Amino acid sequence: MSIKWWPWGLLSGICLLLLAFFVLYPLSVLFTNSLRGADGGWTLGAFARLAADEEYREAFVNTLILGVTVTTCTMLVGVPFAYMVARFEFPLKNLVALLPMMTIVIPEIIVGQSWLLIVGNNGLLTRMLAERDIALPRFYGWTGLIVSMTLVYYTYIYLGTLAALRSFDGALEEAGLSLGTPPLTTRFKVLLPVVAPAILVNALVVFTLVAGNFALSMLLASQVPLLSVMTYNAFVNEMGGSPALQSAMSVVAIAIVAVVLFVQKRVVERKVYTMTQGRAPAAVQVRSWRSLLYTTMVGLVVLVSLLPLVVVFIAAFTLTRGPVMWWGQWSLQSIERALRHAPEPILNSLQFASMATLLGVCFAVLVSYLIIKKRSLFTQVLDYIVVLPLTISGTVLGIALVQTFNTGWLILAGTSAIMVLAYTVRRLPFAVRNASSALYNIPDSIEEASISLGVPPLATFFKAVLPAMRASVVSAALLMWVTSISELSASIVVYTGGLETMPIAIFRQVDGGRLGLASAYGAALVTVILVPIIVAVKVFRINLFSTR
Amino acid sequence: MAAITLENLVKRFGAQTVLQQLSLHIPDGAFYTLLGPSGCGKTTLLRCIAGFYEPDAGRLLFDHDDVTRVPAHRRDIGMVFQDYALFPDKTAFDNVAYGLRARGVARSELRKRVDKALDDVGLLAFGSRYPAQLSGGQRQRVALARALVIRPRVLLMDEPLSNLDAKMRLQMRDVILDLVREAGITTVFVTHDQEEALAMSDQVALMDRGAIAQVGGPEDLYATPNNTYVADFIGSANVVPVAVLPEHRGARAGEALRYRLGEQLLEGRSGGDLRSGELTLVARPEELALAAPAPVQPNAVPGQVLRRQFLGSKTVYRVRLAAGMEIFVEQHAGSASRGFHAGDAVQVLLPTHCRVVAG
Repeated sequence: MSIKWWPWGLLSGICLLLLAFFVLYPLSVLFTNSLRGADGGWTLGAFARLAADEEYREAFVNTLILGVTVTTCTMLVGVPFAYMVARFEFPLKNLVALLPMMTIVIPEIIVGQSWLLIVGNNGLLTRMLAERDIALPRFYGWTGLIVSMTLVYYTYIYLGTLAALRSFDGALEEAGLSLGTPPLTTRFKVLLPVVAPAILVNALVVFTLVAGNFALSMLLASQVPLLSVMTYNAFVNEMGGSPALQSAMSVVAIAIVAVVLFVQKRVVERKVYTMTQGRAPAAVQVRSWRSLLYTTMVGLVVLVSLLPLVVVFIAAFTLTRGPVMWWGQWSLQSIERALRHAPEPILNSLQFASMATLLGVCFAVLVSYLIIKKRSLFTQVLDYIVVLPLTISGTVLGIALVQTFNTGWLILAGTSAIMVLAYTVRRLPFAVRNASSALYNIPDSIEEASISLGVPPLATFFKAVLPAMRASVVSAALLMWVTSISELSASIVVYTGGLETMPIAIFRQVDGGRLGLASAYGAALVTVILVPIIVAVKVFRINLFSTR
Repeated sequence: MAAITLENLVKRFGAQTVLQQLSLHIPDGAFYTLLGPSGCGKTTLLRCIAGFYEPDAGRLLFDHDDVTRVPAHRRDIGMVFQDYALFPDKTAFDNVAYGLRARGVARSELRKRVDKALDDVGLLAFGSRYPAQLSGGQRQRVALARALVIRPRVLLMDEPLSNLDAKMRLQMRDVILDLVREAGITTVFVTHDQEEALAMSDQVALMDRGAIAQVGGPEDLYATPNNTYVADFIGSANVVPVAVLPEHRGARAGEALRYRLGEQLLEGRSGGDLRSGELTLVARPEELALAAPAPVQPNAVPGQVLRRQFLGSKTVYRVRLAAGMEIFVEQHAGSASRGFHAGDAVQVLLPTHCRVVAG
C-alpha cells in the first residue's frame, strides 16, 4: 500500500517541523545552556551555585509553601461553592455563570493592579482608613499573594468540582442511604471518594499555575523571595552575559511542573471515575436564612471577581499627581496621555495579538484536524508537542525563545516577530483544545459524505469540515485574542525597546508608582478584551466557554 | 448504473484479516444486501466498494472499469450513512445541492434537480430547514436525496435505517425501494436485520467472519440454507444433530436421503456436501407439526411437551424428543390440530423436504 503523503501526510510533516523548531528546539537550547560552563565545557556548576545560594533555597521553599497554601485556599473556596451551586436552588444563582469567564477575561496584571489601587500603599481603602488613623496590615507579601492568587485561581477548582458533581449518579447516594448510612455520612463515604480525584486533578493544575505565576508575584512579593521572580531577575541581570544561571533556574521550574504532572498522570488521573449513566440529583430549593446566606456568598464572590474591572476604570478617570491618586476628583488626563502621547503600547498590543490570533487559529484548526481526524504516528507526536507550552511558565518560555533566537541564522530577538511567536506558542494549546472539542463532535461520516459526492479530500476540508466547525473557530479566535493580548510573563522577557505592549506598560507604570497611567492602559486593555466578547455573544450568539 | 465485481478481495487491519479472499458479483440494477452480525465485515466490504478503504489484495470492478486504486471522490458513488452525515451548517437544499455544485452544474438546472430530488422524498417544503430542525426520518430522506441527485453509478447504504424508530423504519423501506427502483440504480445495502434484508432485496449475501456464507434470493436463503449458520441467522430454525446413512452421504443438494435421529430412521433432503464433519437437520418451527402419540405416523419422532406458550396468532411448544434434544414447534391459530399441554406425550412430524446440512 502506498503512503498517502498528499495532502495530510505532507501537512502533518510541516506542522511537526514547525513545532519542533519553535517549541522543542528552544527548550533543548535552554537545557544545553544550563549545563554549559563559562569555558564552554559541560558542567553542573550552575545548579551547584543555585544549591549553595541561600536566597534561592529560600525562594524554592517559599514557592512550594505558597503553592500548597493557595491550592488549599482555592479548594476551601471552590469546593463548597461548587457543591452549593450543584445541589441548591437560590435567588441570583444564575450570576455564577459569569464566573468562568472572569478568570479568562480579566488579566492577572489588572487583578494585581486593582488590589494595589484598593489596599496598596496609595490605595483607596488604605487612604480612607488612614484618615481615621487606622493602619491596614501591609498587603505586600504573603497576605496579598495568598488573597489575590486564591481569587484568581479558585475558578479552576470550582469548575472541575462542578463538572464532577454534575456527572455524579444520584442513585449511588440513594443506594448508600438505602443501605442505612445517614445523609451526611453517605456524602462523605459515597460522594467524596468519587469526586475527590477530579478535585485533586484541578488542585495540581492550580499548584503549577501558582508556582509559575509572574504578574502577581512581581507586584506583591517584594519581601518574599519566589522562584518566578528570581528567574526573571536573573534573566534581566544576565543580559548579554553567560545565560547559565537563568537556564538552570528555568530547568528547575520545568522540573517542578514535570513532577506535578507526573503525579497527576500516574496517580490521580487513574483514579478519576467516569460515570457512564445516571443523573445528578436535582438542585433543591433552599429557603429563609440559608437562601439568604447562599445568595450573599455568590453575590460577594461575583462582586470581588468583578471588582478589578470597576476599580481600573475608576482609577483611569481619577486625577493623579505623580504617584498620588486624588480619589473623588475626576480627570481625563491619564486617558489622554495613554491615547495621545504614548499610544505605542496599545498599538503594539493590537498588532501582535491580532497576528498571533490569526496564526494561532489557522495552525490550531489544522493541527487539531490532523490529530483527531487523521491519526498516525506523526499526529500522535504532534498531539504531545502542542500541549507542551501548557507545562512551561511564560517566563521560562520567554527565556528559551530569547536564548534560541538572539543568535544563529534566524535572529528574531528585538523584532516584533518574537513577540508574536511568544504569544502564539504560549496560547496555542488553548486554541487547539477549543478547535478539538468541535472536531470531536463532527462525525467522520460528514467528510466521507462529501468525498462520496465527488469532492476531493483537501477541498472537503474547506467545504464541509471548516464550515461545520465555524462557531468554534470563532470562539478559538476570541480565546486566542483575549489570552494573547493580556499575556505578560513571556512577552516581558522577550520584548525590547519599542515593542512594549499594554500589559508590559501597566506592569512598568505600576512598578514606577504611576498608577494613573497604568490604570488608563488597564482600561484600554479591558476594553479591547470585552468588546469582541460582547459582540460575539450578543451579535453572533456564540456560546463562549461552553466547552470548559 | 453499473454491475460491481469483487475478485479475491482481502482487507487486513493490522494482524486481523477482516475480508478473506472475497469474490462477489452484483448485477447491474440489483438491490443487493450484505447481511450479517456485527463484526462480519459487511461494512468493511461496503467501504472498500466506496473507496474509503483500500483493499490489501484483489480487484474491484464497476462494469469493466478497474476502480481498485481510484480514490473515493472519483468513483461516482452515492452513499447514505447510518448517522445521516448531513452537513450541520447547510440547509436541506444546500445539502442536496452539494454534489451538484462540486460537479459545476449550472444554476438553473441545479435548482430544478434539487427541487425534484427533495420532492421525490416528500420534502420540497423543507428545503430551507437545517438538519437540526428535521426529524430522524426527514434527515435520512435528505441524505437519500443528496446521494441520488448526482445520479451515481452505484448507491451504497450503510445501515441507513438502524437509527430510526420501528414505525419510521417500515415507512423508509418503501421510500428507499420506490426511489431506487425508479432510478434503476445498482444498490448495495448493508444491514444486520434479517427481516429488512428479506423484505427489500433482490439478492442477499450473508456474511460470516469476513467470508460469504451464502448468496441467494430471500426465498432461497430461507428455504434452502447451505449450513447451520445460514439457517440460524435467517429466521429461526431447529438445528438437530443427525447421522446420515453412509450410502446417502454422497447425495447432492436437493436429493432425497435417509438419516437417523436417535433410534428413528427418517427421510429428508441433502443440503449440499455432506461428506465430512458434523451433520444437522434444519427444521423451521412452523414446518413441524404435533400429533397424538397414537396412531404412529410416518416420518415422525416421539417426544414430550415441556412448555406451551400462547402468542395470539400462534402457539409455540417446547418439546423434548425421545433422543434427548429440545426443539420448538409452532402451531398457527387456524390450525386444525388440537392443542397440547405441558407433560403431554406427542409425536413430532418432520416433513420430508427438511434439509440435512454440514456444520
